[in-house]
Amino acid sequence: MTPTTLLAAAPLPLLQNGLMVGAILFSLGLVGILTRRNLIVMFLSAELMLQGISVSLVAWSRYHGDFGGQVLVVFVLSVAACEAAVALVFVLQAFTRTGRLDSAAWQSLREASLARAVDHEIPAIDAPLPVFPRLTPAGVLPEPDADAALQREHV
Amino acid sequence: MSLFAQAEPANSGWLSTGLLLAIAVTSLAGSLWLLLPKAGRDGRWPRRLGTLLGVAALGLFIVTGQRLGNLGEDAVFLIVSLVAVISAAATITCRSPVYAAIWFALCLAGVSGVLLVLGAQFLGVATIVVYAGAILVMFLFVLMLAQPSGLAASDRVTNEPLLSAVAGAVLLGLLSLSIGRLSAEDPACCRPPSKAAALAGETTSPAPVGETVDLLAADQVARLGGELFGRHLVAVEAVGVLLLVALIGAIAVVSHGLEGDQAERSSLQEGGRP
Repeated sequence: MTPTTLLAAAPLPLLQNGLMVGAILFSLGLVGILTRRNLIVMFLSAELMLQGISVSLVAWSRYHGDFGGQVLVVFVLSVAACEAAVALVFVLQAFTRTGRLDSAAWQSLREASLARAVDHEIPAIDAPLPVFPRLTPAGVLPEPDADAALQREHV
Repeated sequence: MSLFAQAEPANSGWLSTGLLLAIAVTSLAGSLWLLLPKAGRDGRWPRRLGTLLGVAALGLFIVTGQRLGNLGEDAVFLIVSLVAVISAAATITCRSPVYAAIWFALCLAGVSGVLLVLGAQFLGVATIVVYAGAILVMFLFVLMLAQPSGLAASDRVTNEPLLSAVAGAVLLGLLSLSIGRLSAEDPACCRPPSKAAALAGETTSPAPVGETVDLLAADQVARLGGELFGRHLVAVEAVGVLLLVALIGAIAVVSHGLEGDQAERSSLQEGGRP
């Protein structure tokens, strides 16, 4: 099989479809990072954008018959792992300071000319929270532990 | 299957393609706006309408190309990319962050399927292992640690849903326009000129087409490893150093942050809560 037939076997439509999937993932991630207010969901959206870029790079790599794109995706994966580690540490720090995962809790960092964002109305939960089944208690009731009572239940 | 017409022979055909694309972009923006959590009435009908519109937009994006003839050939690609795209949309529109993370896991499965179809076997497996196995579990861990009960109010509203949906849809429309205009005629334009040619000042002459690699060979992973640790050895070393620095930095921030300044914390809590 000569290189020319290989290139013909990986033609333009496959490249275009791969690029299209990458573009859709990137756009959805962009919308997510612009709109969502939960810090974790914002990072998920950033990872979504990285996935879109990876798909595009691999599509180009297949089209050109070159490993360069795939090597670049390996580096993207490593940098994403670093970013996730550092970002999660900062998110945890922010959470312990404000008690919320809301990015609006940090709006004191905004520009001085911007008005304060206030939630005027919060939509109610339209569906009741699901009730999960519980096991019927069985066996002997354990003795209450004095040490366990001192430990806090929630973070 | 191609999502795009190979060439636009007449103006009328191009116009109809452009019109289809415009309708697809508009319906995508509307569906994202309807699906995103926002203030005001948040009933079920807008969400159903948004889902319908989103499906219509996806179909329009597929129909925009007129070569749906050999669909069976690329059915696997179509299925895995639909899984990836639909679960990505669910990731950003889901109210509960935990559900969003789980939808993101499904999206990763779809993306790794796309990578496998595109011939990147190692990357498809590595995406599952690194993302779904490590990063996503860390995200879920933090989520469940931080929000033990119920849905926070901030997860039910979003910042500027209409503007962002329009921005994302328009970006997607522009990208798909430029993707549709790609042509296979002159691949030499995308290759950098060889060093000798650049030194000689022959920047306009087409560079010789480099040696292409059989990306679908059986020893593809071994070849990728050879490429990674051959040509890109210094970059691999740099990434190793980056990982080490990130690890040390994360540990340092945690250990310093735990003994944080109490006064600063209280002032932040007063100023930070709306």
